Amino acid sequence: MSPNSGTATAVKAEAPPETDQSRRPQDALTKEDCLEILKQLYLARYFDVRLIKEKKRGHLRGTLYSSHNQEAILVGSLYGLQPNDWVSPIHRDMPAFFLKDAKFKWDDRERMGLSIEEVCAQVWGKSGSPGRARDNWSHIGSRAKHIIHSTSMLAGTIPTATGVAYADRLNRGDAVVVTLNGEGSTAQGIFHEAINFASIHKLPVITVIENNQWAYGTPNELEYALEDFARRADGYGIPGLIADGQDVFDVYDKMMWAVDYSRAGKGPVIIECKTFRAYGHGDHDDDRAAKYRPKPEVDEGRKRDPIAVCKQALIEKGFLTPQEANQWMAEGKNAAEVSNDDFPPEVVQYLDRGIEFAVASPVPEPEEAARWVFKENG
Amino acid sequence: MSAVAAPAKKNYLTALREALDEEMGRNPDMVCEGEDIGILGGAFGVTEGLQAKYGKERVIDMPISEACIVGNAVGMALNGKTVMAEMQFIDFISCGFDQIVNMLATYYYRTAGEVNMPVVVRGPAGAYGGGALYHSQMNEAWFCNSPGLQVVCPSTPYDAKGLLKSAIRSGNPTIFFEIKELYRKREIEEVLPNEDYLVPLGKAAIRREGTDITLVSYGQNVYHCLAAAQELQGMGISAEVIDIRSLVPLDEQAIYESISKTSRVVVVNEAPMTCGFAGEIVARISQNAFKYLDAPPVRITRLDTPVPWVKPLELYVLPSLEKIVSAAVATVKY
Ligand SMILES: Cc1ncc(C[n+]2csc(CCOP(=O)(O)OP(=O)(O)O)c2C)c(N)n1
Ligand SMILES: [Mg+2]
Repeated sequence: MSPNSGTATAVKAEAPPETDQSRRPQDALTKEDCLEILKQLYLARYFDVRLIKEKKRGHLRGTLYSSHNQEAILVGSLYGLQPNDWVSPIHRDMPAFFLKDAKFKWDDRERMGLSIEEVCAQVWGKSGSPGRARDNWSHIGSRAKHIIHSTSMLAGTIPTATGVAYADRLNRGDAVVVTLNGEGSTAQGIFHEAINFASIHKLPVITVIENNQWAYGTPNELEYALEDFARRADGYGIPGLIADGQDVFDVYDKMMWAVDYSRAGKGPVIIECKTFRAYGHGDHDDDRAAKYRPKPEVDEGRKRDPIAVCKQALIEKGFLTPQEANQWMAEGKNAAEVSNDDFPPEVVQYLDRGIEFAVASPVPEPEEAARWVFKENG
Repeated sequence: MSAVAAPAKKNYLTALREALDEEMGRNPDMVCEGEDIGILGGAFGVTEGLQAKYGKERVIDMPISEACIVGNAVGMALNGKTVMAEMQFIDFISCGFDQIVNMLATYYYRTAGEVNMPVVVRGPAGAYGGGALYHSQMNEAWFCNSPGLQVVCPSTPYDAKGLLKSAIRSGNPTIFFEIKELYRKREIEEVLPNEDYLVPLGKAAIRREGTDITLVSYGQNVYHCLAAAQELQGMGISAEVIDIRSLVPLDEQAIYESISKTSRVVVVNEAPMTCGFAGEIVARISQNAFKYLDAPPVRITRLDTPVPWVKPLELYVLPSLEKIVSAAVATVKY
């Protein structure tokens, strides 16, 4: 290397703590935290299976992208964030909208997340949706709640995240911005362009890659050529962590490390969460997916249900007895096999309330379609 | 024993698949690329069976990168291949926009004719299906405004197959708009010829003859126009319906000839009005067929808004039977 290379020398990323088992952030979680985390997993799962059922009954339009088997990534990524932090979910992350800042305050309308009522109104296509149902399903967000509005164009909101982070720096804020993405979306040029920018300016943008091994009908080996996607981070000189996407506490550990790192001004982080897509790409694809994904692969990928993994960890932590763990048994069951009795009643009631609101909420007036093309006065 | 079975009717999607299959069969230098087109057979199934038949080398499952899909096609064309590049939805073509308008469209021009680009970028387009902002677009005007690109939009299975084949063989880059709401529409299924056939680019089709007013459109709006013509007939108005089928090149003559007969015209297009292709048609009529007109030419288009999701809002912004009929009546009464 040239002796004059000076500051242009690439900064070597700080080694992530993957091997350090002595200082795990999860060990600082209280019993109440851990039980709340389990309950949030149930909530995410129940939201999914309930929507699958409602859709089968013909109550919903549009495509349902199930987050079944990937809930630990959502809960583990969001649980330790500050209310002011930003989140950017995509199509498979519907529960993220109401899980944000939900810790012990599901019903608090002031919390920095969308209410279950708002999210259900969105799915039902009603005016009670934060976007007044102008766009479908996951395509919502809220500036007030620090949720970046999701769109279709994969990876398209990562530069939005860098912009939010940059502006927050200008505002002398200390928020981190967490973006959730499928691994397939990372083939987009804008993924690279945004992370490059974030790494130059050391922006606190944490890019979570939900690597569920498939992008629609295309498997990992046709999406990128790395053994571990996380190694993509090396090219930007930023940390790339790998999390067990089935283990909510491992996701939590990696996220907390990333949050500390990013909030301290050290720059962006990529976290690859290894998981597996439970069903077809969307509900329209279930039948075809059964053909293009061999059953043994699917069985293997779904073997470690995040709810079961979480319960086991809670038993080991001494926060749950095996008996208590068996009280509700949603794990390992498909939407078709599971019933309300497999979930804590407060979870079912929570969603009932959301759906009740959504059903009663009126469809927007047609004339609304012409509004908000340009800024309106007042 | 039954008699010889009547030849089967085929839908729009099958017609497209047959076109690709037959062109891949007759041209060993042809390649297909796109997201999920191989293992899955395409999001809608247009490429189903092609990878099994022609192999993974010629039917490529691409990473999710529209820019790379188009740019890679440019390189393959430079090196002698004919390429079909699928956009999973035409809405995402914008992610490959630079590669299309600056690389693909201009290659022949800037090489003074040395290198032409036999590349067809095709994908599902159009609204009316509840697809919302990013699964409903008709963004054909962007490409009509980029010299060097052919722009095509079939409305029938016969045309879908014949136009796609023509586009592939034309040696020019083509943006091919398929109407996803027509892919499996039963009512428009038809028997296709067994033998190889082409539908020429730049030739409009008269879908219904009439004498009082001309309705010009393409894609699924053709069916709105046909339904409107039916209703107008009940009101004593005879409407002629023209399906232009290809926007670039455009069969202007067919439009002028019709107007020379009817003296009145409504142009219908589901894209937004401002700088949309309906405006281009109206401008040409005003300039070249003014002498035939007894009333100002009228556009019925989408409002200048995105396409919203929920049905009443979606329909509010789009052309409809009612809007076409009332525009036609007003034009006839003018
Ligand atoms: C730019 C762009 N191209 C194509 C699509 C169509 N599409 C939607 S989801 C998807 C697969 C996404 O895979 P991945 O990023 O791994 O997320 P997953 O669905 O597996 O969670 C595709 C190709 C799109 N939404 N945006
Ligand atoms: Mg994926």
